[in-house]
Amino acid sequence: MRRRMRGIAVAAIALTSVLSMAACAKDSGGTNSGSTDNASGGCKLADKPPAAAGTSSSTSAGEKVDGSALKVGLAYDIGGRGDASFNDSAAAGLDKAKADFGVSEVKELTAAPNEAEDAKQTRLRQLASEGFSPIIGVGFAYAESLKVVAPEFPNVKFAIVDGAVEGAANVTPLVFAEEQGSFLAGVIAAYQSKTCNVGFIGGVKIPLIQKFDAGFEQGAKAAAPDIKIEKAYLTPAGDFTGFQDPAKGQEAAKGRIEAGSDVLYHAAGASGKGVFSAAKAANVKAIGVDSDQYNQSTVAESKDVIISSMLKRVDVAVYDYVKAVAKNDLASLPKVFDLKVDGVGYSTSGGKIDDNLKAVLEGYKAQIIEGRIKVSDKPTS
Amino acid sequence: MSTSTPATAGTPAVVLSGITKRFPGVVANSDVHLTVRAGEVHALCGENGAGKSTLMKILYGMQQPDEGTIEVAGRQVRFRSPADAIKAGIGMVHQHFMLADNLTVQENVVLGAEALHGIGGKARRVIQDLAKATGLTVDPGVLVERLGVADRQRVEILKVLYRGAEVIILDEPTAVLVPQEVDELFTTLRGMQERGFTFLFISHKLDEVRAIADSVTVIRRGTTVGTADPKAVSSRQLAEMMVGSELPSPETRESTVTDRVVLNVQNLGLVAEEGTRPVLDCIDLVVRSGEVVGIAGVEGNGQTELVETIMGMRRASHGRVLLGDRDLTRLGTLARREAGIGYVPEDRHRQGLLLTQPLWANRILGYQTREPVSKGQWLDLAGAKKDTRRIVEEFDVRTPGIDVPAAALSGGNQQKLVVGRELSGDPVLLIASHPTRGVDVGAQALIWDEIKRARARGLAVLLISADLDELIGLSDTIKVMLRGRLVADADPSSVTPEDLGSAMTGAGATSAAVAELEGE
Amino acid sequence: MGILRGKLLPPALAILFSALLCGIALVVSGANPAEAFGAMVSQVGEGTTAVDIVNSTGTYYIAALAVAIGFQMNLFNIGVEGQYRVAAVVAAVVGGSIALPPGLHALAVIVVAALVGALWAAVPAVLKVTRGVNEVISTIMMNGLALGLAAYLIRDDVFGELRGNNIRTPEIPESGWVPGIPLGSSGTVFGLVFLAALLGIGYWVMMNRTRFGFELKASGESSTAAAAGGVSAKKMVLIAMLLSGGIAGLVSMPEILGRDHTYNLNFPAGIGFSGIAIALLGRNHPGGIAFGALLWAFLDKSGLALDNVGVPREIVTIMQGAIVLSVVVAYEVVRRFELAAEQRRVGKQLGTVAA
Repeated sequence: MRRRMRGIAVAAIALTSVLSMAACAKDSGGTNSGSTDNASGGCKLADKPPAAAGTSSSTSAGEKVDGSALKVGLAYDIGGRGDASFNDSAAAGLDKAKADFGVSEVKELTAAPNEAEDAKQTRLRQLASEGFSPIIGVGFAYAESLKVVAPEFPNVKFAIVDGAVEGAANVTPLVFAEEQGSFLAGVIAAYQSKTCNVGFIGGVKIPLIQKFDAGFEQGAKAAAPDIKIEKAYLTPAGDFTGFQDPAKGQEAAKGRIEAGSDVLYHAAGASGKGVFSAAKAANVKAIGVDSDQYNQSTVAESKDVIISSMLKRVDVAVYDYVKAVAKNDLASLPKVFDLKVDGVGYSTSGGKIDDNLKAVLEGYKAQIIEGRIKVSDKPTS
Repeated sequence: MSTSTPATAGTPAVVLSGITKRFPGVVANSDVHLTVRAGEVHALCGENGAGKSTLMKILYGMQQPDEGTIEVAGRQVRFRSPADAIKAGIGMVHQHFMLADNLTVQENVVLGAEALHGIGGKARRVIQDLAKATGLTVDPGVLVERLGVADRQRVEILKVLYRGAEVIILDEPTAVLVPQEVDELFTTLRGMQERGFTFLFISHKLDEVRAIADSVTVIRRGTTVGTADPKAVSSRQLAEMMVGSELPSPETRESTVTDRVVLNVQNLGLVAEEGTRPVLDCIDLVVRSGEVVGIAGVEGNGQTELVETIMGMRRASHGRVLLGDRDLTRLGTLARREAGIGYVPEDRHRQGLLLTQPLWANRILGYQTREPVSKGQWLDLAGAKKDTRRIVEEFDVRTPGIDVPAAALSGGNQQKLVVGRELSGDPVLLIASHPTRGVDVGAQALIWDEIKRARARGLAVLLISADLDELIGLSDTIKVMLRGRLVADADPSSVTPEDLGSAMTGAGATSAAVAELEGE
Repeated sequence: MGILRGKLLPPALAILFSALLCGIALVVSGANPAEAFGAMVSQVGEGTTAVDIVNSTGTYYIAALAVAIGFQMNLFNIGVEGQYRVAAVVAAVVGGSIALPPGLHALAVIVVAALVGALWAAVPAVLKVTRGVNEVISTIMMNGLALGLAAYLIRDDVFGELRGNNIRTPEIPESGWVPGIPLGSSGTVFGLVFLAALLGIGYWVMMNRTRFGFELKASGESSTAAAAGGVSAKKMVLIAMLLSGGIAGLVSMPEILGRDHTYNLNFPAGIGFSGIAIALLGRNHPGGIAFGALLWAFLDKSGLALDNVGVPREIVTIMQGAIVLSVVVAYEVVRRFELAAEQRRVGKQLGTVAA
């Protein structure tokens, strides 16, 4: 019942948008009876997934946890607090934990680009020897150094975001199913593209970013099998400046736009700022990553092109981890922060995701959670 | 331009008194006195390294004296930069021209002095007016690259005049000119002298000094020895004032030429790197044991290329180079040196020495594969130092030690070191390019002596020089080079510098002593 | 004394000057310079920092030697960066896939690294000798290629293997490790730090005692004089570049054979560029370079302490830049002064200058 009403409302919106871009609307007419009323002008869309049974997860708020005994140390990856990306997300989680649990002291240190291994070790050691516990390494780059440092401080609790350390019992891995969230980003892109061509900008061509790539591709293809996907990575593996180079991001985005993409999804950390600028200049849409970038002050000037963000809830992971440490109940943490536990997701700030699309997304989400869609973490190309 | 206000007859144009410069260098100035009367050509003579350049740099504001005063037209002045000197009416024409080839005459003259008369028609009129004084007849719109050496020099003088100079310093102006051009320059100078200009003429060519100067001041070891009337003294007397001793002459009396061919150049040709223009063409040249073959020619006619091709620094496009019976044509420079060629390059700073390296390291250069300075792949530092001491002693290189950098020596002493090195290791052939250019008379005599002694021992010498007296005095045979070819032979026993000069400029033989080589 | 003054005065002045500059920058940004510098100095005593500095010095030293060899003849090998990276990947792959007895295994890895580095440098060398391509441009381009090649070689479908979110080459078996000197909780000094020292000695001997070194120096001082002295410029370019590349190939060996035993995504970048700065700082002299490398390592490692006192760590980068700039200027000033003094001295001894 409710769906039907919503459908009518959406049809009205779709009508106006079809009028305003009639020239592009060649595929929108009645090929797929089930989805004629979607807002897409460019792509022949696949059947919508069945509706979700209703949103499942919700973090139990209001639980009183006392963290006043904790001194939390955070070692950021390059970019640090203010990178408008996953470091920032970690920082948000830390801030929330500090406020909610009354954490007594926090200390944050940041990695330099292309630094040597021993610098990371020194950073962790420094935090550990100053009595911080737990200590969270933000970024898989800390995996090797934690392998060395964690055994040196067996009584300190460590966690690592995006990585795992074999054989170190005091290191908790906080990993995410980025491919699942990116799948939904791909669906959004497919539904919003008028040219039936979407772009992916990866910061550095490393396995972690390729997970975003893979999920995005699979999601876009699932929603629109004919869609074209333009991909670019800013730097090859080994050169991490790709996460910190908005100029490069802008160039790469321009290239994708020239190749026909009108929705760009980036997984490029601070370089994403350049992607947004390029999107704004060319009047195309963009999807942010990690945090809800629509509300981020660092990219505020181009916020109107940001239709959504793939949320990688590093903040949730950090928050939950600190909470688990405070409760001394690390076993309660999920093995992987995925769609099921809301470890990844999508944002709707800015109102560019209409209820119809939201329904589609919830449908796909349910399928993924139920395991009917398996999202690969390796791109096909 | 203000030629209307010549200094009054009684006031000297320039007076330098008690100039002392504790200058970082071998020779500076110590209590120098120099008085230049208005409207005269005053020559400043001295060995190279005697302190002439320093003195002129002080007068031109490029350096400041530690003691002493400068007076210009009766007023005491203090120059902090050449700009101050120019304001006071002093201009300088450097030995090495400072012209931009790809600009026109007018642009070159106006460059840096745009404020005077603008850059348009007014400047052009001023230039044309002044050009008459300098004897420059070309249009100011002509590109400098199309001018000959003499005209370029006139452009330099024009630049100085344009900036309002009344006292003009000419630093070795004749070094780059052939005798005929020297005469023209002197005519120009006399004409300008009549218009009220004063000249300070730096030279070590004493005949020229006697020909043009109204008075001559001799400087030796940084201090002025005295001022003389050049009409009243002989070149020889002047030279003795400069060196303070009896003077040697380059002449080699008895012939030591044998019939054993050492260097045999056959049909040598070289094509310019950027194009197909032949720089050397059909060069046939034989130098025998005990013989000095001189190559005369205006600079830029292929002498440099000839030497560098024989040395293997340039690849011949055809022809052969034989040393004795050995064909060197395909060998590199090092192998040619090892085969027994000693090489005194034309520019000792650029090609002969490693200026910041100690003397003993310079001894190794070119000999790095041979005893006594190396053993296999290893350097023999002790051997190198010992042999450097030998050279310093035998060739009278004035230096406090062999560990000082080559740059600390005066030009003459640097050249003595180079010649000493190139005569080490028993060469069979010595190629000497301008071996005494820019060295003092003392060093010149020593270098001539050493070349003569080596010749007497059977050394074959290929001598390239712009100093025609040197060529005539040292050579057993002289060949004239013009546009990459050997165009004439001259007999040093009878040829005069003027004859050679004519042949060098392609004006044709004017004397029986120069035989043109037709059809070669 | 005079020599000592000429050699030591410029860097001392430069360091002082840049410390002053950074001090001012700190004051302007509202931090206490004394506290910042104090934190840096006391950091040396913390944890493994001292050992890290020594290890890092070794790495920088090798990189700077590689650069210095080129500098000796005015060849600007900007490509050390790429040379050591490609060498590191290939050496790590080879080291991880061969089985040799201890000692020999490590030696093989080192030789491979040197050869690969030389090979990577051979491209710009050959281009320069045959086509006159400026080595600055070609080596920079080779750096880009090196990154790409390294990224390709460690793909998990090529030679690499996936470890969580990291990719790395297969681990080099223990027979290929080079043991260090363990100093307990202060860390472990890489064994190959001594390789760096040996290279430095070899470099000194080469430059001062061998024909090749002489020819190299002569070519750098005056290419025209070297040519007239029979030194083949092309041969020198080729050999110098290969040698430089070979040494560059060894840059990452201390870390790979002493600690990481693999090439992974966290491989440090930028050492080649630091090497350029250090070679400039050390004036291509093996002793000077050692000092420069030590200084660089100190600034790098103790700079981590700046976070503790709330000072932006970028101040270290500013300081490094300022040091290099002012060293170059200071050397030039002192060099001119020294030459003038030398000429004056010679003049005095010959009695041609009034006292």
